[in-house]
Amino acid sequence: MLLQLLSYLAVAVFVLGILTKVVKYLRMPIHVRWELYPIPHEKGREYGGSYFEELNWWEKPIEKSFIGQIKFMVPEILFVRGLYHDNRKLWWASFPFHFGMYLVIGWLALLLIGAILNIAGLSPESVPATFLQSLAVIFGAVGFVLGTAGCIGLLILRTFDGDLRAFAAPKDYFNLVFILAIFLTGLLAWSSSDPSFVIFRDYLEGVITFNPATIESPLALAHIILLSLFFMYLPFTHMTHFFAKYFMWDKVRWDDERNLRGSAIEAKVKQVLNYRQNWSAPHIKAGKTWAETATEEVE
Amino acid sequence: MMKAEKINPKDISRPSEQMVELDPADFMKLPYPYDKGEDEPAFKRLTEDQKKKYEASLDGVLAVSIPKPATKEEEDELVRKFLSGLEKLLTKENNWTFLQPLTLSLEYCAKCQTCNDACPIYVSSGKKDIYRPTYRSEALRMIANKYLKRGGKLFAKIAGNDIELNWTTVARLAELAYRCTLCRRCAQTCPIGVDNGLITHELRKIFSQEMGIAAAEIHTLGSVQHLKKGSSTGLTPVALKDTLEFLEDDIKERTGLSIKFPLDKEGADILLIHNAGEYLSWPENPMAFAIIFEAAGLNWTLSTDLVGYDAVNYGLWYDDVQFARVAVKHAQIAKKLGVKKIVIGECGHAHKAISVIADRIINEEINIPRESSMTLLEDLVCNGKLNLDPKKNDFPVTLHDPCNMVRLMGVVEPQRNIIRKICPQFREMEPHGVRNYCCGGGSGFAIMSSMNFPNWRSSISGRMKFKQILEAFQDVIDPGIKKMVCAPCSNCKGAIREIFNYYNAWEKCGISYTGLVEFIVNAMVDIKEPYIEWPEI
Repeated sequence: MLLQLLSYLAVAVFVLGILTKVVKYLRMPIHVRWELYPIPHEKGREYGGSYFEELNWWEKPIEKSFIGQIKFMVPEILFVRGLYHDNRKLWWASFPFHFGMYLVIGWLALLLIGAILNIAGLSPESVPATFLQSLAVIFGAVGFVLGTAGCIGLLILRTFDGDLRAFAAPKDYFNLVFILAIFLTGLLAWSSSDPSFVIFRDYLEGVITFNPATIESPLALAHIILLSLFFMYLPFTHMTHFFAKYFMWDKVRWDDERNLRGSAIEAKVKQVLNYRQNWSAPHIKAGKTWAETATEEVE
Repeated sequence: MMKAEKINPKDISRPSEQMVELDPADFMKLPYPYDKGEDEPAFKRLTEDQKKKYEASLDGVLAVSIPKPATKEEEDELVRKFLSGLEKLLTKENNWTFLQPLTLSLEYCAKCQTCNDACPIYVSSGKKDIYRPTYRSEALRMIANKYLKRGGKLFAKIAGNDIELNWTTVARLAELAYRCTLCRRCAQTCPIGVDNGLITHELRKIFSQEMGIAAAEIHTLGSVQHLKKGSSTGLTPVALKDTLEFLEDDIKERTGLSIKFPLDKEGADILLIHNAGEYLSWPENPMAFAIIFEAAGLNWTLSTDLVGYDAVNYGLWYDDVQFARVAVKHAQIAKKLGVKKIVIGECGHAHKAISVIADRIINEEINIPRESSMTLLEDLVCNGKLNLDPKKNDFPVTLHDPCNMVRLMGVVEPQRNIIRKICPQFREMEPHGVRNYCCGGGSGFAIMSSMNFPNWRSSISGRMKFKQILEAFQDVIDPGIKKMVCAPCSNCKGAIREIFNYYNAWEKCGISYTGLVEFIVNAMVDIKEPYIEWPEI
């Protein structure tokens, strides 16, 4: 029961932690544009151009390419393309680490679906359930192997590469060791005591139905405890970049939305220009709004 | 002297005479004819007096040149102000302009160092640790985490924030904020989206907006003078009118054309604003614009209002308040004249300032459309609105991409289309376009001339650009073959001029530089004499 409570707590802390961060970023005021080219949604300008290349650009509609953005994002997210081009040495560790993590998330999702189907009355021996479980085995096994290898690679680089070591903190090693322990316990549990991941699926079923399942395998138990603790820890680390990248890319790097007359941008700008700044340098009069500060006569 | 290799961010707090020593022997090698290193000028060292008087313990170079505080109390007060500035930077009222981008960049660096090799300064210096894009960012991040977050001091060691915020740290950060050209090439390679150029920009803001500390050339002599006298060059409206009269005579003499610069013409279609440095250093550039605009029959004007004839906006590099003041002035003048659009002359940072950044500052009724001169000129050249003969530009030409115009604004092809059309021997530098390298003069460096900073600029921050230029011309490197770099940006031209002087590039390689419009006028069929002038040997 304690184990299940830990899992419920993990989900709650994870969701709340992530939501808190998302809300924090969403509540931040509009910022000035600070885009960086190429911007993949600029249709037909893959070389890095913008609508500023058009004569009288404000008179023309902006054509945004959703496909262009997808074409950029999919290889970036799945294969860490940027790192492949700009830091190949790190990519050899970072790619298996991230891809392993994606597969493990897929593994969890497949087990969850299997558990729900089981609760719904679908026999575990039925074709769809067997298929799902087999897929989960592939996702889990490959994910744990890749993740373990990636973690070890990252630890080696962080320890022995002078450039990385110069900036490394105890926390960085702790994070890697923590994740390595999760991958490793998952891998060992699979190879020694749960080759078809039925223990994990049944555990999830118990979590969903509030029926505590007994875990006899110490490795599976360790894996569940570690994974639960990690879910609680993750929202408070920089590893939340998995969602923060949306803000960093879509809301900063690719934010080229124009301030047109009567637009929502115009209204937001009007609002922030009324914030009162409090800077202390001699050329700034503290306590005035930005609109006043920008237009006052300067001595 | 500290060990030169693998300096940690926290080392910035440890007092020492100098963190790194700059030795030209360590710098990135240049191609032929500089490959032997014999023509590398000696690096100018600070005098003992200068070292005694100013804070120079970063790298023995002075850009900001902060006088050493007389007492410990003064030091402590400056440290307190620094922290208070950092705190304000993280509030929406004081920093709505960059709060979200800054917060994200402070929170998400994975310290993977992928950005390092994208930085021309880090690479050109021979990979000095303190010039890593991540170095100053990490130091600032550590200070913010340790001194401004709850429990920051308690967990400083385990979280990797065990930095000491003392005067040494602050003084070094002030100089270090001016060892980055804000080209943001580093940000382009960050797999997460962290922007170390932005953090440098914000660091400069703490010094300027809270402590009143900035490089004199960009603040006192720059944006302050701009707002007060009308131009950061010191050019007043009266002096401008005199200069323009002189330029009209010069146009007549050089081309036989009688052109009057239209001034303060209400209801004109276009308000053209140049970087006023052009009038003083490269008058052939505003003259060429006038020749082209008149030949194309455009309805345009210049402004003689204070600020309205100088497109620069130095606030872009260090101070949001000064930035907003200049941007609003530009827009108000355009509104007063009733023009349809502002066209920005050949000035990269002015392009980005008024088109991109100011887009969310000049609001409502003063939101007048702004356009790049590159786009307008492309229309004139590529749509047959001018009578041009490319054979008149039949010499090797390469094109420099100003970062602000290209990577940071997306104006990439118009200038290329013009050059391709009128320069038969055009060749690209590698890399180019949005992957270009900075001229080394970005973020104010082109106009900063304190102590030995110009040596640093030409030998380190401009080194990668010089390398690119030499590589682009390797097949015609003989000084007997005259060749030209087209740099459609005043600051870039200034920086390139200094690099060429530093390395005697004209004498050794026959390479000179000019703007874009000069090529267009040089190709005009109706102008008989060559418009482009080559340096005298």
